Amino acid sequence: MSASRSLILPPEPRPTARQLLRRWGLRLAAFLIAAWSLGPFLWQVSTAFQPDALLMASPPHILPWPGTLEHFYNVFAVKHFQYYILNSAIVALATTAFCLVFGLLAAYALARFDVRGRFGVLGVILSISMFPQIAIVAPLYLFMSSVGLLDTYTVLVIVYLALGLPLVVWVLFGYLQSIPRDLDEAAKIDGAGPIRILVQIILPMALPGVVTTGLLAFIAAWNEFMFALSFTSGIAHQTIPVGIANFQNLYYVPWGDVAAASTVVTVPLVLLVLGFQRRIIDGLTQGAVRE
Amino acid sequence: MAEALAPRLAGGRERWRVGSWLTPLLLLIPACATMLGVSVYPILNGLWLSFRDTSLISQTDKFVGAANYVKLLADGQYWNAWIHTVVFTGASTLFETILGLGMALVLNEWFEARGAVRAAMLVPWAIPTVVTSQMFGWLFDGQNGLVNHILVGSGLISHNIGWYSSPDYALLTIIIADVWKTTPFMALLLLAGLQTIPRSLAEACYIDGASAWQYFWHVRLPLLMPTLLIAALLRALDAFRIFDLVYVLTGGGPADSTETLSTLTYKTLFSALQFGYGSALATAMFVTEALIALAFALFLIPRMRRTSA
Amino acid sequence: MTDSKKPGASQAGAEPMVRREFIKRSGVALATTAGAGIATAGAPRRAHAAGRTEITFASAKFFGKETIAQVVDAFNQSQGKIHVTYVELPPPSSSTEVHQSLVQQLARRNGNPDVFTQDIVWIAEFAAAGWALALDDVVDQAARKAYFPGIVEACTWDGKLTALPWFLDSGMLYYRTDLLGDAKPPETWEQLVETSQKLTKDGKARFGFLWQGKQAEVLVCDLVSFITSNNGKILAADGKTVEVAEPAVVEAVQLMHDTINKYKISPQDVLSWDEEPSRRPFTAGQAVFLRNWSYVWSIAQDKSESSVAGKVGVAPLPHFPGGKSAACLGGYQYGVNAATKNRDAAVEFVTWMSSPATQLRFATQLGLAPTRPAVFDEPSLLKAQPFMGTLKPVFVGATPRPVTPKYSQVTLVLQSEVSKALVSGDVKSAMASAKSKIEAIVKA
Repeated sequence: MSASRSLILPPEPRPTARQLLRRWGLRLAAFLIAAWSLGPFLWQVSTAFQPDALLMASPPHILPWPGTLEHFYNVFAVKHFQYYILNSAIVALATTAFCLVFGLLAAYALARFDVRGRFGVLGVILSISMFPQIAIVAPLYLFMSSVGLLDTYTVLVIVYLALGLPLVVWVLFGYLQSIPRDLDEAAKIDGAGPIRILVQIILPMALPGVVTTGLLAFIAAWNEFMFALSFTSGIAHQTIPVGIANFQNLYYVPWGDVAAASTVVTVPLVLLVLGFQRRIIDGLTQGAVRE
Repeated sequence: MAEALAPRLAGGRERWRVGSWLTPLLLLIPACATMLGVSVYPILNGLWLSFRDTSLISQTDKFVGAANYVKLLADGQYWNAWIHTVVFTGASTLFETILGLGMALVLNEWFEARGAVRAAMLVPWAIPTVVTSQMFGWLFDGQNGLVNHILVGSGLISHNIGWYSSPDYALLTIIIADVWKTTPFMALLLLAGLQTIPRSLAEACYIDGASAWQYFWHVRLPLLMPTLLIAALLRALDAFRIFDLVYVLTGGGPADSTETLSTLTYKTLFSALQFGYGSALATAMFVTEALIALAFALFLIPRMRRTSA
Repeated sequence: MTDSKKPGASQAGAEPMVRREFIKRSGVALATTAGAGIATAGAPRRAHAAGRTEITFASAKFFGKETIAQVVDAFNQSQGKIHVTYVELPPPSSSTEVHQSLVQQLARRNGNPDVFTQDIVWIAEFAAAGWALALDDVVDQAARKAYFPGIVEACTWDGKLTALPWFLDSGMLYYRTDLLGDAKPPETWEQLVETSQKLTKDGKARFGFLWQGKQAEVLVCDLVSFITSNNGKILAADGKTVEVAEPAVVEAVQLMHDTINKYKISPQDVLSWDEEPSRRPFTAGQAVFLRNWSYVWSIAQDKSESSVAGKVGVAPLPHFPGGKSAACLGGYQYGVNAATKNRDAAVEFVTWMSSPATQLRFATQLGLAPTRPAVFDEPSLLKAQPFMGTLKPVFVGATPRPVTPKYSQVTLVLQSEVSKALVSGDVKSAMASAKSKIEAIVKA
């Protein structure tokens, strides 16, 4: 961070007016970015704390005052949203774990072995992710129903794994390419097998990339709606987006409750992103240059 | 000791060589088996259905050759949706790239609370899509939406705009919603790309007396180009399948003005349960996407070679 | 119906079957005041008695003070021969997914699910495909008289009763009693236009009349109420003759367009609104009239949600001169899988589900309007859902949407073409185009 500071600060002192202009310009730009990104979300957080009758107030009621915790009460005590969160956590964590293991093995194979036509393989992997998802829901539904997997965690994990792997393999492939080969060559001479090299040498070095791709896979699984809606029934296996859709009773959408629920599920993700952001950006940095 | 080790080492090398085709294959199996296992059957099934007239309701199931594709080429609704999809994909990818690049350039500089702003930037991406679409329904509501309220209040427009109810604005509004939601992903990729550009280059340029603009245009942008194109490709492929936002916000209307290939396919496959024709639509989408990817690749590969040379 | 959002209303609905504790309540005992005594604590779920006939029941998710699962449990408790397993499908807001899931299961003809519920517009489709068991010998002509005639018509395909009525809903006119004063609610569209124009001109309300024009199923529901009130039809009784280009239909669609562009009693935004976006301005006190379903009533009367509580009335929708009020009939109905291996158990279960006592329970606990007129007169119903009494006359005139097994394709054409007509104002050519497209579908 301190190194990039030298980017803005020219090597020799310049007229302070220009420096000031630049500094304030950056601050303004940063403020605009934050306002654009957070504005709608903050409005929603505010909605989550407002009584229903204020939602349609004209002019719109922006600050949550007088506030209420009614919507959060409804979300947890009445609609048992914690079960959906638990289901989402189980599905997303399992998806992430398998995605990383499978993706790492595949990326390792493509990046470290002389696989003929590796770009062909990468191309096929990319093209798989191009097929419209709405077109594979129905045939998969029939298939999963015939093998008795409907309404299980397993079915969601398998599908999200297949949807998430292309991105994971691409990013991890780029990342592994950037790790110097000297180390695993040395280990190879010492007689280490491929799996040992992967676990003991590559994995520790690739950790930032693994964390990044893991987070990408996690968010995708956490937020997916259509497969979750079609493949699960009942609160025992439904995930957060389906849970939020379930709030709707016939036509009535309890928007305050929806806002509260989405606040509850977004804030942890934001904290997660905040915690991992260095690693996310580092991970993508390595991956992005390579392909 | 050394003698005892030697054969083992040789044997180890031997195994590596023998296994040079087997090991990567074994490593690839879990990932490829999952992807192929889940995707191949539906894709082939879709391809097969697209040459048939299949209906669960009327119990018909017969081979009709290319009839579905012939029908598709003459179907005004298909081309209407095709144009909207292409316009949406082009516009949203373009805006997201420009805006994402701007954000990345800002967030790459140092300023107070940079970490917090970087995290804030990612918020739109973290909100569940089911919620985003409804949220935009509220914000852009033509009569009581916050957006019209702010625009009228600030004097930028004199009358409320019917964001979703006018065919002139509906697609634009959906593009705005998508740009809001997905720009963070672009910005993140581009920020990562910017950070790989060696800092020594910047210093060298400034010492040579280059302006910030010259540095950006002649050094940074060309170096960023491969990342930018790949990010744009991934984004375009995703934007081409736009579904949730449209389906929740406008249902394809008014007057089909926001119908996209995904919503049309969904209606045909799920609502009307016309499996044959719906599968032909899905396959046509797949082919168009492959063409987009190909066009990007043709554009991308020479540039990547030039940059790496 | 919407009490679930209230913290006070106990709703165990979202809990999983396995974890849920439920109360023993027989179907008959519900004459007690609604909501009272629905404790969450109680006897744990009783193990299935051995030797019962096992059947499955699949339904879209509805909830209120109770859930469908609780009603099914009450059936399981009420007798010892049959055990019903409830399979919850997505909520009716995702009716496309519900439909698709049902079609795929029924098409397998393996008897699973044994009993299901279906949106009223799918009845013809499922019956024509041979998936729904004919129930003529279960419900004889005399027994059918106990239901609203419109609903029996909607449950009948090709002369056979293939569905058993569960609950109904219909479009109706909500109006502001405080703004109308002593005046009666409008009986004709002309009166509605006049009153709307006068009250909006006087600044009493921002909007005259709100309805739903989003390119979605709800547009067809609004369409049916407009054109039927002008004696127009989408399909003739034979199910093959398409009448959407007839003058009566064109005139009705023209009126829909005119409410926005000529009379200016409806904002252009109705073209993008479905139920909720149009309901919110009304319950916020911004409009004089609203066309919507029965769910709006309890919200409108709820002070924490509505600023017009106590100032709202409900009436049948207006009609054209020479026509009569028509409301689009909605609701879900029971069906028995034609491939069921447990016909007797399935029939016994649907009969219980459609019985007056169970319908009363659905009405008081889930806010679902009975399909038996007699249930409307139950004192306990009027106590729990006072507005339902006022709905009875509205339901009597409810009209089915076009009855055809190809409905799911017909509705897509109507949504697209009517939306075009409303946007462009060129009603004639849009309806002519709709006619030729629908003809191609129904004659195929």
